[in-house]
Amino acid sequence: MFEKLADIIVNYVEVDRAAIRPESRFMEDLGFTSFDFMSMLGELEDEFETEIDQQEAAGIRTVQEAADYLEKLTKEA
Amino acid sequence: MVCGTIREILTGAEQRFGAEDAIRYKKKKDETEAKTYTQLKEDSEHFSAALAALGEQGSHIAITGATSYPWLVSYFGTVNSGSVAVPLDVSLPAEEMCELIDRADVTTFVFDGLRADVAAIAGERCPKLKYLISMQQEESDKDTLSFEALLREHREGFDYAPQPEQLCTIMFTSGTTGKSKGVMLTHRNLAENATCLDMKIPERTVILTVLPIHHAYCLSMDILKGISLGSVICINDSLIRVAKNIKLFEPEMILMVPLMIETLAKKLEETSWLPPAIVKGKVFGKQFHTICSGGAYLNPAYLELFEKYGITILQGYGMTECAPVISNNVSWNIRKDSVGQLLPNCEAKTVDGELWVRGSSVMQGYYKMPEETADALKDGWLVTGDLGYVDEERFVYLTGRKKNLIITKNGENVSPEEVENRIGLQRLVQEILVRESEGVIEAEIFPDYEYAKKKRIKDIGRELQQIIDDYNLSVPAHRKVYRLKVRETEFEKTPSKKIKRY
Repeated sequence: MFEKLADIIVNYVEVDRAAIRPESRFMEDLGFTSFDFMSMLGELEDEFETEIDQQEAAGIRTVQEAADYLEKLTKEA
Repeated sequence: MVCGTIREILTGAEQRFGAEDAIRYKKKKDETEAKTYTQLKEDSEHFSAALAALGEQGSHIAITGATSYPWLVSYFGTVNSGSVAVPLDVSLPAEEMCELIDRADVTTFVFDGLRADVAAIAGERCPKLKYLISMQQEESDKDTLSFEALLREHREGFDYAPQPEQLCTIMFTSGTTGKSKGVMLTHRNLAENATCLDMKIPERTVILTVLPIHHAYCLSMDILKGISLGSVICINDSLIRVAKNIKLFEPEMILMVPLMIETLAKKLEETSWLPPAIVKGKVFGKQFHTICSGGAYLNPAYLELFEKYGITILQGYGMTECAPVISNNVSWNIRKDSVGQLLPNCEAKTVDGELWVRGSSVMQGYYKMPEETADALKDGWLVTGDLGYVDEERFVYLTGRKKNLIITKNGENVSPEEVENRIGLQRLVQEILVRESEGVIEAEIFPDYEYAKKKRIKDIGRELQQIIDDYNLSVPAHRKVYRLKVRETEFEKTPSKKIKRY
């Protein structure tokens, strides 16, 4: 999950793929804007064929948290 | 045609486009539903009739929720009955929303089910509140009225003609003092702002509305201007799904803030090895041609980038206090380094480098804030707080901001003092300065080193980050602090012992 996520992240921000770590924070460390983040969630919905709740997703700060959230969603489905 | 009231906009559009789609929205995944101009007008009249039956005609009616058909019906039903709409940001913390409801003397609160939390405490916190109306609840109960049921029960027609100078909307905006201010706008303020400039947008243009509806820019340009032109207004259900909804609704035009344009630019450039027409078709669809940009300043480099893909960006400028558009570029006369020509209903002058504007869209004042109103309005001129000038052809050029107010790239106004006052409550924070840096909000803190020593705090940076994290959890996204700087020395002060901002 983390690897897949990292592949997608590099399309949104200028960051070296190797520099993305589970504990990296989207906004503070990777330089995401709030709209970059929202747009990426949209792409993740397609990629993992799931529906993301905007309210729930607002609490996600790190890559690991996003990976855990997606893991949970895909398992539920 | 220039309209003097919002009712004229809606009834005029209904006469011309009655049976055609006015609003399209998603019902389920990939399934859309539409409402016609006649339905929108009639439903809003039923809402007006319901307000009158409740004895609420002329009262202040707060509305909160994401953009939706019920939101729009509530808004038109309120203002067209001579009542005052108070649109509230759906993402505000409950306590703050209650404070605004109370301060705006709201007696009826119309809410999206998402904010049932506010409704649950509003009864206690807002003593003036008489009615709660839920947009989703199917039937009324003892505490909450149902929007649907109210419309069903009041099928009678409703005929009332609001006057142009009548107050119709109070919109809250962040102030430099840290307390948000209620901008009082009349029918004429909003209606003329939306209709006085002919942008040569064809009738029945399909637009996708993506900005929050409590913003004056969205309300005026997407909704009021859109309706005056008989547009098909498609509602974007979530910022997560802009790309998907573009494919679903196939819009020709979208109103955006710079932040969105920057993200979409990355999307376009991602596949820049493909021919531009194909990339554009993939991201926006073949039919798409125009983006209106406002809310904050957009770097003109983006105009050129989008031009390559056959998309025109029309940059504009405004503020809520001017209902809100002050100037706008038009497709046949674009100046890339300018935020456009003054609207026909607006004149401007420069006072000590600062732009002052006057005209039929300038607000009445701030609700129950005479001092702040006196500071903002001087002999009928609105003091914008922006540094800039206007050339002989009425093009406006901006050079900076005079006030401290931060305008983020998504067009939200954030008062640095408000953030400073909140974080400054922490004992470890001796001095704090909040500012914008590279598009995000940054806090620079001079910690109380003695206190840290006494409390044996070893990692001060970490402790301060924790304070910021806790603060961030309690505020909407646009007010979050994304960068922290720790100082070793005190800030430089002005003679009156205030921190020097620049």
